[in-house]
Amino acid sequence: MKVPYVDDKPTPGGFGTPSDDDLGRMIRHSVESWQPQRGPDWPGVLIRLANSGPPAWLLYTAASAALVVILLVAFLVGSALQIGALGPQPVPSHLH
Amino acid sequence: MTEEGRELDPATEFRQLYDQQYLSIYRSIRAVVLDPAAAEDLTQETFVRAYRARHRYTPTAPPGAWLRRIGINLAISYLRRQKLARVLPARLYIAPDRREYDRAEARDVVTKALATLSPKLRAAVVLHYYDGLTREEIASVLGVPAGTVASRIAKAVAIMRKSIGSDQDLGPERSTSEGALRGR
Repeated sequence: MKVPYVDDKPTPGGFGTPSDDDLGRMIRHSVESWQPQRGPDWPGVLIRLANSGPPAWLLYTAASAALVVILLVAFLVGSALQIGALGPQPVPSHLH
Repeated sequence: MTEEGRELDPATEFRQLYDQQYLSIYRSIRAVVLDPAAAEDLTQETFVRAYRARHRYTPTAPPGAWLRRIGINLAISYLRRQKLARVLPARLYIAPDRREYDRAEARDVVTKALATLSPKLRAAVVLHYYDGLTREEIASVLGVPAGTVASRIAKAVAIMRKSIGSDQDLGPERSTSEGALRGR
């Protein structure tokens, strides 16, 4: 059981409430006692780098560019082949 | 910093920077996520992200502060994802095994007090008390104004003091442990 250092002087907030200095010391002491189970693993970083794909920004940019190209090609092909709404529209005869 | 007092350059000395900063980055992240295994994983991820961005590093802040910024942001994002996962239907969310952590937490009053804080308050506390950063440096790491950092630290300290105080008032080991400390 880790026990915080408690000053002889009672501090505002109650008998067992640590002062700000004590709290800072307790936090430092506690955090400094934390040790990683595996420790530094540089080969692990290199493996992650090798396994990770392209960065997200590159992926999103490429996907956006591909979408623009697909829409452009679809428009050009649709216009050239006069498909659907891109073809000449029939004019109703009763308007004449 | 190196022995000569020179800051390491992430672009050319990343490996040395990794060895130098690993432990302190791990501890800072662990103080935010309060989970040793997740902290190790996030520490590795921090260095992976930093390695990819090493050529974009600008020496306006020390490399340690730059790494902390990446690590703390990763840790907060991780907790946000965890929180989101908890609202998913039970079938989709598998809760991590926290028994070991809960046992460890019960042993450590500071960890228990840190657990009462929000991740953002924990980040401010650890950067201030463990890493020893100034309010301005913390503001730069967290991307918030210095005034916000000051209020977060004050709020966190008040909550932690209350938590530790009530823990000690109610704790069964209080008389023996305090007696031992007072006798020092």
